[in-house]
Amino acid sequence: MAETTAATAKAGALYDLGYQRYTGVRLDRANSVRTLFGFSFRTAFGLGRGARSKVIPSIILGIVFIPAIVSVGAASTTGFVTLINYAGHLQFTSFLIALFAAAQAPELVVTDRQYGVLTLYLARPITGILYALSKLAALIAAMMVLTFGPQFLLFLGKVFIAASPWAAFKDEWTILGPLIVGTLTVSAFVGSVALAISSFAGRRAYASASVIGFFLLVPAAATVIRSLATGETKRYLILAHPINVITGFANWIFHIEAKRRTQVGRADLPGSYYFAVMLAVIVVATTVLILRYRRSEA
Amino acid sequence: MSLISTRDLTKAFSPAVVALDNLSLDVSPGIIGFVGANGAGKTTFIRILLGLLAPTSGSAAVLDMDVRGDQMAIRRVVGYMPENDCLPIDVSGADFVAHMGRMSGLPFQAARERAAEMLRHVGLHEERYRLIGGYSTGMKQRVKLAQALVHDPKLLLLDEPTNGLDPAGRDDMLSLIARTGTEFGISVIVTSHLLGEIERVCEQLIAIDGGKLRYSGPVAAFTELTERLVVELDDESPDLAAALRSRGLDVDGNATQMRITVRDDSTYDVIRDAAAELGAPIARMHLTRHKLEELFRDQVVAHG
Repeated sequence: MAETTAATAKAGALYDLGYQRYTGVRLDRANSVRTLFGFSFRTAFGLGRGARSKVIPSIILGIVFIPAIVSVGAASTTGFVTLINYAGHLQFTSFLIALFAAAQAPELVVTDRQYGVLTLYLARPITGILYALSKLAALIAAMMVLTFGPQFLLFLGKVFIAASPWAAFKDEWTILGPLIVGTLTVSAFVGSVALAISSFAGRRAYASASVIGFFLLVPAAATVIRSLATGETKRYLILAHPINVITGFANWIFHIEAKRRTQVGRADLPGSYYFAVMLAVIVVATTVLILRYRRSEA
Repeated sequence: MSLISTRDLTKAFSPAVVALDNLSLDVSPGIIGFVGANGAGKTTFIRILLGLLAPTSGSAAVLDMDVRGDQMAIRRVVGYMPENDCLPIDVSGADFVAHMGRMSGLPFQAARERAAEMLRHVGLHEERYRLIGGYSTGMKQRVKLAQALVHDPKLLLLDEPTNGLDPAGRDDMLSLIARTGTEFGISVIVTSHLLGEIERVCEQLIAIDGGKLRYSGPVAAFTELTERLVVELDDESPDLAAALRSRGLDVDGNATQMRITVRDDSTYDVIRDAAAELGAPIARMHLTRHKLEELFRDQVVAHG
């Protein structure tokens, strides 16, 4: 029953229903982590945010999914089952997900710092490190949508367009392992670097510029240094080039011979080297991120 | 049960910058004002209670939970409203407060219901579905209060909640705080550098200056300590001050304006009689407050 107070008449505002204490269940810290993960995952796509926040994620989602959709669609109507290959698609998306990470990693961490929301989070039952790891997991998960999503669509396409889906599935299912490991590694590689860089920026624009800078300038610098080097050093310097590292890794995990004329092909390094470099970068970037938020633990 | 208890609590950011200096306090539940000039150590104190800062030495406990060991348990039962901006711009008030409720451990549905309830309590209605970026300062302060209340805390820590508000907004915020404290039965610690507004809603008062405890006790006693009667004269009357002092009053000032400590109602009679005797032309008399800084300076002198 809503009894109105004197204030109602004045402000036309306050209905006094009396204060209800909350007596229901209170969940544990894992719930806080899941909540932050879910909220951040939605933020990465601009969900629950203003219309402007949805523009860039929508465009990038469109660009990575449309080739896969068109490819599957064309194959199903013509019955002609040559689809884009997985490694090719992973390389094609690697630049786009770098762009996505540059645009959205700052949305996850820079705004919390810039607008002071981080203070509110840290006054809740969650530590600085858990905050950082929840954000990282959310960004990687969002990037998996962009990397694994279209690939999985291609997989489904290959299976269901085939004359005998079951036979096709038996032929194809072994690709799912490399597909998951491959897209997860690339997502974690790009995502951890982007988030670590963003965690130091005061403004979203600086963070985005720094992340794009990393994925443009580091390859450029690596190429220049590489052109000056000779012999064995030259071969190994390919590992300093993030995009080539992704290419080398994608070739390795999908068992594809690198094209002779590409840098990766000429370097001719074992594929596991690329994988090792990516894991090392993921570990370093995550450590930097944790150190950045550790102080908040007190 | 003790709401807050500290023993020799010290926080030194560097040997030269000591924010809190051997603070020992025992506070019982209620609405507590925490006053001090800007930079006196109020925010540092609150951040230590939340476990956001580690004390350099000494100990502090909130609801008998230690700030070093039980910080997560403390944060579950404490609501915090920071002084500075702390709201995202492109999320709606309803979504944000519900999110913060879930962060504190409320299940999804309960968080949404309580967010709506708390936003209504603070006076936000249809606006709660709009993005926070479009809110006025007053509305943002209300959202900040709502997010501190959403998980039904036992203790609210409000850091300068009236900052940036116009006089009407200040009044609204203060009565909202008073209502929250008295009707909800939630203990509230509210900091301010303005003594005048804080004593209206508080039962107890803690005053610190330069990180040192200056006062801890009921509001009324502190009011007496700080209240002064200003007597202004139309013409110079050099003898009045001396005459009042000889009658036992505490007077400072010059021949045309003096400040007098009011002991009780008889103080007014003493002034009236002395002025009549000397024919001193009193223009006006009014009660005023020491500024906090003045009060502390005086006390340092008195103690030194």
